[in-house]
Amino acid sequence: MLSYLLFSVTIGGIYALLALALNLAWGGAGLVNLGLAGFFGIGAYATALATGAGLPVALGLGIAMLAGVLAGLAITGATLRLRDDYLAIVTLGFGEIVRLVALNERWLTNGADGLSGIVAPFKAQLGVQGFNQGSALAVTALVLLVWWLLRRLDASPFGRALRAVREDQELAAFAGKPVLRLKFQAFALSAALAGLAGALYAHTQSYISPDHFQPLITIYIFLAVTAGGLGRPLGALLGAYAVVIFLEGTRFLAALVPGIEPVQVAALREALVGLSLLLVLHFRPRGLLPERIPPAPKALP
Amino acid sequence: MTDPRSGFSRRALLAAGMGAVALPFLPAAARAQGSGPLRIAALSPLSGAGGTYGPSMVKAIRAVVEEANAAGGILGRPVELVVEDDQTSPEAAVRAMRKLIDVDRVVAVAGVWSSAVAAAIAPLCWESGTFLATCAGADALTNLPHQGFLARTQPNTTLQGRKFGEFALSQGARRVFMLSPQTPFVQSQFDNITAAVKAQGGETELLVYDDKKPSYRSELQQALRFRPDAIVLGGYLPDTTVLVKDMLRAGFAGTRIAFAYSVNQKLVDSVPAEAVEGIYTIAPSPAENSPAWKHMTEQAGTTTPDPYSTQSYDQANLVLLALQAAGTASGTAIRDTLRKISQTPGGTVVSRVTEGLAALKAGQALNYEGASGPCDFTEKGDIIDCQFRYEQVKAGKLTLLRIA
Repeated sequence: MLSYLLFSVTIGGIYALLALALNLAWGGAGLVNLGLAGFFGIGAYATALATGAGLPVALGLGIAMLAGVLAGLAITGATLRLRDDYLAIVTLGFGEIVRLVALNERWLTNGADGLSGIVAPFKAQLGVQGFNQGSALAVTALVLLVWWLLRRLDASPFGRALRAVREDQELAAFAGKPVLRLKFQAFALSAALAGLAGALYAHTQSYISPDHFQPLITIYIFLAVTAGGLGRPLGALLGAYAVVIFLEGTRFLAALVPGIEPVQVAALREALVGLSLLLVLHFRPRGLLPERIPPAPKALP
Repeated sequence: MTDPRSGFSRRALLAAGMGAVALPFLPAAARAQGSGPLRIAALSPLSGAGGTYGPSMVKAIRAVVEEANAAGGILGRPVELVVEDDQTSPEAAVRAMRKLIDVDRVVAVAGVWSSAVAAAIAPLCWESGTFLATCAGADALTNLPHQGFLARTQPNTTLQGRKFGEFALSQGARRVFMLSPQTPFVQSQFDNITAAVKAQGGETELLVYDDKKPSYRSELQQALRFRPDAIVLGGYLPDTTVLVKDMLRAGFAGTRIAFAYSVNQKLVDSVPAEAVEGIYTIAPSPAENSPAWKHMTEQAGTTTPDPYSTQSYDQANLVLLALQAAGTASGTAIRDTLRKISQTPGGTVVSRVTEGLAALKAGQALNYEGASGPCDFTEKGDIIDCQFRYEQVKAGKLTLLRIA
């Protein structure tokens, strides 16, 4: 039981990183990124290939973030004129492209067989139990660090400028904000975080394949951010843990319902995910922890 | 003065919280004593792309478990089946498998369908000493360092590819084109078809397509440019449904060969008759009309079980009999005794769990002969021998040509 809880904490942390990444681009700058699974996958494959070639894991994490940044810059560059729904569709396409490339470029990614035996740092020294505890701790610490940094970022002039872009791009430009640069920066940073999440996933699970990066995971993260509260890092963070608790908890709940077949349990779980989102949106349309807009500072006398 | 309400609610909250934390540990503690029910798991696709196969696989496993329980259980303990949905996604499957290992403490998992799922959960299984029985066919699986904790009832792709190639030749084809989505087995399947066809002086070509397209006209144009005598369809049910209709439109009149799991009765019934007329299908043959097969079909209430449910039936039987024969309830015990009950030379041939339990009680060695085949395993966990079943769609019905 304990190792299952630890594992859920690890997965929750990885989801939380993804949620923070999404919240930065979507909640911060208004850039909808439906290709989150793609950046997640890029990070995972980047570190798997780098550490597979003999590089240390720390460098692998760095390379994963760098790969995320490069992909993020490329996507922003290609979609300069797109906003809202149009951007969402293009990023969704990008996520699928990543998956299809991973599926078909066998020389690099080993195709549908996936990459197995990815380096699990310190696993030999710590043992299986110790490794599970260590990874839960490390991932959680990293999540808290990222959350703290993003909170700082939100309160900084950079964060306020991002919000200005989100609310009204033309007005922000008129006020002298470098809209284009802000968009590049926000998206690249968000992609780096998603890449980091992918790298952590690869090193804790030791196996990745194109099937891991289906849009399903993007949907879970959107659920987390929407339910948690768009625009507030703490909301995204708690939303992600809530989604994992929900996904795992329904296994036990569904087992209590008498007289239903396993197939119906599976369908019931999916229905519950949708239903809970509807309920949250109905009763708390801005999420459980809505965004807080700090009052404007008083003018100096 | 203290506010009685706040004091009460805080204490109650604390107690409730402690209770909630402690609750899951209670059954675990009870389980750790080696009494109570013996748990095995079915981790099958109940939703997602594999969702059409999972339900019948789970049903087959459940039937075996119920049969064993009616006969007094395994090692004197009742068997409990824990079912989880793998959502046909390795990411979701890993989460489900973690729960099965750490919370339910299952000794074995059966009914694992997709190769990606099997590869993702395999490390969890061998690290925790949980036995993994799967229907996945990718060659790479049994090459993992699984220490014997993995066995599959599905023939690997090398063997299947050769059978496809030989069959195409027997139909007089010299130029064979293969159309397939990207799967873990497409390359090795194609290589083995090519090896068989080239040996007779023929030519082959492969086109890998995206399995979620609404139309395959351009893919077919490319295929027809090769002027094939035979086209091999390597896809799954949804994409093959689209493909056979597009082939009719494109007017391809040569031999078409497909996997029986994609061109099944469901597909035949769902498309115009002329689109599927004459298609050949090949599948690892269930041991049709063997005692195990007859018993399984009676339980399942169908005369045409799909190969995966017959395999799941065998996996459940093998796991339970291995546990009984080993005398201890652990995945390691299954690993160490599996081959003693599946293929002891000269052992008593059994085909269902009750027969096996009776034979074990009488102190006999076992040789399990299953519904999917003889179920004999190599050291690596591949099956040794498998028959193939050749069928053809004739007048809207899948008609058996031969089993060989």
